[in-house]
Amino acid sequence: MAEMWISMGPQHPMTHGLWTLKVKVDGETIVDADPELGYLHRSVEKMGERRKYFMNTTLTDRLCYASSTTWTHCYAHSVEELMEVEVPVRAQYIRTIMLELQRLASHLMWAGAYMPDLGHITGALYFWRDRELFLNLLELPSGSRLLYNFIRIGGVKRDLPNGFEEKTERILKLFEQRLDEYSDLFENSKIFRMRTDDVGKFTAEQAKNFGITGPNLRGCGTKFDLRKHDTYEIYEEIDWDISTREAGPGYSDCFSRYMVRIDEMKESVRIIRDCFKKMPAGATLASRVPVRAHGEAFRRTEDSRGEAMMYVVGDGSDRPYRWKIKSPMFTTMSACPHYLKGYKLADIPAIMGSIDICIGETDK
Amino acid sequence: MSLFTACRSMAEWTAEYLLIPIFNFQAGLFPPFSNPAGSFADWLGTDGGLDTLAWTYAVNIAFMVGMTNLILVIHLERKIAARIQDRRGPMLSLRSLRELKEDLAGEAPTWKFKDNYSGIGIIQNLVDGIKAITKELIVPTKADRFLFTMGPIIFISSSVFLLVLFPLSDRFAASSAPAGLMVIMAAFSIAPIGVLTSGWASNNKYSMIGGMRSAAQLMAYEIPLLLSMAGVFLLAGSFDPVTIVEQQQEGTWLFGLPMWNIIPQFIGFIVFMICILAEVERVPFDLPEAEAELVEGWTTEYSGIRYMLFLAAEYIRGFAGAAVATILFLGGWAGPWPVPPEIWFLMKVYLIIIFWIFIRWSVPRIRTDQILELGWKKLLPLSLINILIVIFMVEIYPYFSNIITLPEVF
Repeated sequence: MAEMWISMGPQHPMTHGLWTLKVKVDGETIVDADPELGYLHRSVEKMGERRKYFMNTTLTDRLCYASSTTWTHCYAHSVEELMEVEVPVRAQYIRTIMLELQRLASHLMWAGAYMPDLGHITGALYFWRDRELFLNLLELPSGSRLLYNFIRIGGVKRDLPNGFEEKTERILKLFEQRLDEYSDLFENSKIFRMRTDDVGKFTAEQAKNFGITGPNLRGCGTKFDLRKHDTYEIYEEIDWDISTREAGPGYSDCFSRYMVRIDEMKESVRIIRDCFKKMPAGATLASRVPVRAHGEAFRRTEDSRGEAMMYVVGDGSDRPYRWKIKSPMFTTMSACPHYLKGYKLADIPAIMGSIDICIGETDK
Repeated sequence: MSLFTACRSMAEWTAEYLLIPIFNFQAGLFPPFSNPAGSFADWLGTDGGLDTLAWTYAVNIAFMVGMTNLILVIHLERKIAARIQDRRGPMLSLRSLRELKEDLAGEAPTWKFKDNYSGIGIIQNLVDGIKAITKELIVPTKADRFLFTMGPIIFISSSVFLLVLFPLSDRFAASSAPAGLMVIMAAFSIAPIGVLTSGWASNNKYSMIGGMRSAAQLMAYEIPLLLSMAGVFLLAGSFDPVTIVEQQQEGTWLFGLPMWNIIPQFIGFIVFMICILAEVERVPFDLPEAEAELVEGWTTEYSGIRYMLFLAAEYIRGFAGAAVATILFLGGWAGPWPVPPEIWFLMKVYLIIIFWIFIRWSVPRIRTDQILELGWKKLLPLSLINILIVIFMVEIYPYFSNIITLPEVF
């Protein structure tokens, strides 16, 4: 069969959002690929420059519908540095709990979206069933299920409700049992390994050159996590480990990325439990949050998908003069021709699914 | 009394009291122009005419039985899938209500099931059919209209043809061909032509790749499939389903259990089950219609009743494949007395279908290169080993058994 270009997207089951992947195939083998982004550009940065600082948390919630708290936190964190606001300790603990619950929900959403990519629809329903549990938990303090607007500049919206710890513990226990069940269904499944082992390989060196961060980088064996290496909130007081993969079978491929995220979920459970143990009493919002700010601030946080970076410039008014968002997925997806070449057509969903696409934050 | 003799007496009755009077009445209406009706009435009076009528009845009855089973299979798939996937909606039972409460730890369930629900949801299948009929039949502008229409016809007619080819028991058979199973496998292999045709005619790259995959897959599994069946044919010395089933009742095994082909030819059974899964294109071998990368592959451009008939034909092929597996390896319709043989046969068929449904909802789909590798490198040698075992059983073992006395296993 002669070589031909196939356009996958913007309406395609593989895309998980609005983007187009043009692939050149020789029979079933991928020869070349060309991603096209920008279908979902909402000019969030420009909109943010016309709004007051505290209004922008609604925009950052909508950057990524699967992981909205982490983005709002990144914004609040950078603006707090700009305004030199001290966040109360209890608020930092509540933030950490919410961030980890959000990470769990986001990773579960990814796992649920990844399974139909491999032709395993039951996996989607299983993981999304568990995501519901964490959405219920996130709903209790914030009042909404998807776009929480819970983290505010200088703290959080309100304290955790009564009985939150018990409910969380009950759900975490159930979730740990479920994860054990899933290891039989996925990790120990021969066909699942056939589809994910040695597919979509890139080395740690390549990943650093491409600008790939987060679980995708840790899947290559690099032990790098901003929660440890450029720590924020109270992550250094909490007992947890960075989840990576050792060299061996299932290393720096789709399976390693799957395993890294599963391990991260287990680590998140640890972090949440430890937070509840060490959480002190106190205020949840800084007593004085200024409205105007002058200067510039840059913060990076560990998003569910990689390094979320935000750069805010204030000119003394109550609105940011410049606001720049750097999305981890933009660089990862831009590099996709490099790690798609040479694999089969059926590997495209397996590879592009494994890097956890979120178009909302990519196109901003 | 077999199905054919019943149909034959029914044909005699209808011919005598219904058809021949009608044709004679027509022949009497316009004498100069109605010779065909009169000669048709004469032909119905002969033995050949009555036999033809009787076979027509038998085929229609088998077709109706098959179509009823089709609805049951689809219904079974829905129900079992819902239970495997832990979906709330279709799980209308008290047991699922209890588990729901335990699972969610009392957090979420705000919905309430009706206390007085009735029915098992089988009308859903009917409603699906009505919905599909009311949809528009779209033909892409630059598609090859003739081939685009021919593809579904080839696929569906060859699949429905399968329904009348296998007997449900030695008395319930709508066809009697000495080479019965060869005809079934030939009818099975027609469908990939329809897949390739519709994939090519759709003028869509996804569809074309799906069709190509179907052809590549055919090459990989068809040869091990037939070789794994060859062992059964060697043992029975016949292609006839009735002979094959009778042969399986001859030997006995431990505790006097009948030695069906699954026991001496276990390797062949495994190879056959994997290959027939690929033949009926179910997960994990449904590569031609991979929805993740090919957007349902060769059925992308089809809509309405054509698409629904594709789906129905796949279930018919699944049913026929399970029936062939039952005849070849599971002793066909044999079973203890009080249950009729037809019911025994259907029970075994449904056992295989339920097994397939469990596979379908618990494994991912494999890749094209992997199925080729599986077919050529693993299943083909295994099926040859199976044939060697059968040859030993048939030819060499009786020779040696005259010299040395082996335990009475075979």
